[in-house]
Amino acid sequence: MGGQLLKSLRSWGYKEVIRLKVKFFALLRDITRVKETVDFTGGTVLELLENLCSHYGKRLAEWIFAPSVVGKKKELSGNVIILVNGRAIEHLAGIETPLKQDDEVAIFPRMAGG
Amino acid sequence: MYGWVGQVLRINLTNGTIKKEALDQAEAGKYLGARGLGTRLWIKEVGPTVDALSAENNLIFMTGPLTGTLATNGGRYNVVCKSPLTGAMAASNSGGYWGPELKYAGYDGIIFEGKAEKPVYVWINDDQVEIRCAEHLWGKDVIETTDTLRAETDFDAKVACIGPAGENLVKFACIVNDYTRAAGRSGVGAVMGFKNLKAVVVKGTGAVRVADPDGFLEALTKAREMVRSHPVTGTGLGLYGTGILINILDQSGGLPVNNFRDSGTFPNADATSGETLAKTYLVRNKGCMGCAIGCGRIVNVPDGPFKGFGEGPEYEAQWSLGADCGVDNLAAIVRANNYCNELGLDPISMGATIACAFELFEIGAISEKETGRAIRFGDAEAMVELTRQTAYREGFGNELAEGSYRLASKFGHPELSMSVKKQELPAYDPRGLQGLGLNYATSNRGGCHVRGYMTSPEILGIPEKLDNLATEGKAGWTKTFQDLTAAVDSSGICLFLTFAIGAPEVAAQLSTATGVECTADDVLKIGERIWNMERLFNLANGFTKDDDTLPPRLLKEPMKVGPLKGVVNKLSEMLPEYYKVRGWDEDGRPTPEKLEELGL
Repeated sequence: MGGQLLKSLRSWGYKEVIRLKVKFFALLRDITRVKETVDFTGGTVLELLENLCSHYGKRLAEWIFAPSVVGKKKELSGNVIILVNGRAIEHLAGIETPLKQDDEVAIFPRMAGG
Repeated sequence: MYGWVGQVLRINLTNGTIKKEALDQAEAGKYLGARGLGTRLWIKEVGPTVDALSAENNLIFMTGPLTGTLATNGGRYNVVCKSPLTGAMAASNSGGYWGPELKYAGYDGIIFEGKAEKPVYVWINDDQVEIRCAEHLWGKDVIETTDTLRAETDFDAKVACIGPAGENLVKFACIVNDYTRAAGRSGVGAVMGFKNLKAVVVKGTGAVRVADPDGFLEALTKAREMVRSHPVTGTGLGLYGTGILINILDQSGGLPVNNFRDSGTFPNADATSGETLAKTYLVRNKGCMGCAIGCGRIVNVPDGPFKGFGEGPEYEAQWSLGADCGVDNLAAIVRANNYCNELGLDPISMGATIACAFELFEIGAISEKETGRAIRFGDAEAMVELTRQTAYREGFGNELAEGSYRLASKFGHPELSMSVKKQELPAYDPRGLQGLGLNYATSNRGGCHVRGYMTSPEILGIPEKLDNLATEGKAGWTKTFQDLTAAVDSSGICLFLTFAIGAPEVAAQLSTATGVECTADDVLKIGERIWNMERLFNLANGFTKDDDTLPPRLLKEPMKVGPLKGVVNKLSEMLPEYYKVRGWDEDGRPTPEKLEELGL
């Protein structure tokens, strides 16, 4: 019954709220002023990133997204590394990677060392 | 000559003779300088089977054609000799200001032969070269030695020296120049110590001429702009240093923990990270000569048991003295790293050897009878004290001074040495980075990340993101990284530039500096020649394909925790393809056709 109800609700546009842990590193911590948060959600990586940017503002958005082009889908800037449960999203479904309850999303500025 | 200054010093420490010789231009064209030319000159004059700790093992300091020019990050030189740790060729790279100063004095390199009867140092003041007594310096650390020598010679002189670790023939002793920059790996400091050579002090007032000043300026300006505008070299490395990698390796599941036993995430890794260092003990950042990055860390721990001022740690040391030993106390890591700088130890091999000892203790292979006290993972105080003891070969430090392979073998567990060709592995678990595992296994100098930094595409996505768990195509990528690195190391510029620039930019700077036309393909070909030359040396020295392997733990024991739980390195899927793309036979020997193609 519950499954059917959820199905109906979804068909009316309802989205369940899933709880995620988001971690920030290096320069991004200086923008968000937190190391991690559980206050944001999103059904995909893209939705989550948009939610984060609308809260933390332009500086974060500039790090994460490439300059927007009218008529084109949003793209990452190439200056960030995003992991979902330790796996780079390039090896998942990119910014369309679906997120589920208790997923951990780690966001780094592009970095290197050695 | 342009780029090169055209002269090499030959100093025989046995009989005290000093000669100035013309640089072999033909060889310089084929092998550039630093790692490549230094290795070529060593092989030409010394047989492969010579004992590393013997007077016959020449010790060569060699710069590259871009060292000391205005080239971006052109402050590098190499120390070349046979390694007492591995038995393979040691070519150990350092930055700072010493290499450029040697060229300003009029020399591309120095070949040290023989062995002095008593401790000496060499004072090079432009044309004047003297061998001087160093008995008053023997036993002194790097800082006191450097201070004393600058006072004795010239305040502006640059000093490369060994600390007590080199004097005591610790198998992974390093040579430290400009107080804190080190030719760190493979025990070159022990060879210097064996020769009773405490230091090489240089002051130069000359210059390095370039063939096409306008073209060179254009080429280096382009490279510098690329370095400055790149998010890694322009921002990240300067702000957080190389330790910025701790968290990403931890989050990716590729951070080795407790001697690789409990890889790949470390509880409280963030406490040991570059971000935490920047917020706690960092005083300011620092660069080598001509540096556009500034990844060096000047640090100060203001109080407590690990109080002290110094430089570093780099990522590798933050890991080896940290997560690899189960230590999450950043002040202790800084203290141990300062000991490495002051006493002249390679912090990678130091931390990894202590980690091996911790595991040997935990399984009961060694006891307090040998160690004098309980030593277990997570014991920060033991880690710091064992570092100090190793440099002086005090107590159990005498066992650690032999490196992890000899230590673990002596106590019946060679498989617990996380090394390749007896050199300790750095800070990336190759179960989580398949291509880096191939690079570790095939590295000509044993366990090393900077011979072919596959971490860059596999984790960091530079120049593009490769799947770190895949094996397909990794052989070709590894070869390209190894060849490019060999050429960059031999040019006299910093490897970190290659996060932002590639072979075309290196070629443009080389061509305009030396006047010898050089394309991007030529750069890679020179690198391939150097790689094959090193390989031939190893084969002549008794290494076989069986040495192209990883510790059994990394091939058989799956990762225990983190996102890569359950993974092992699949070396056997990559190695045959690697031999093939290298043009080697099934036993890993370069074919006659390949040697002819490379002019070897």
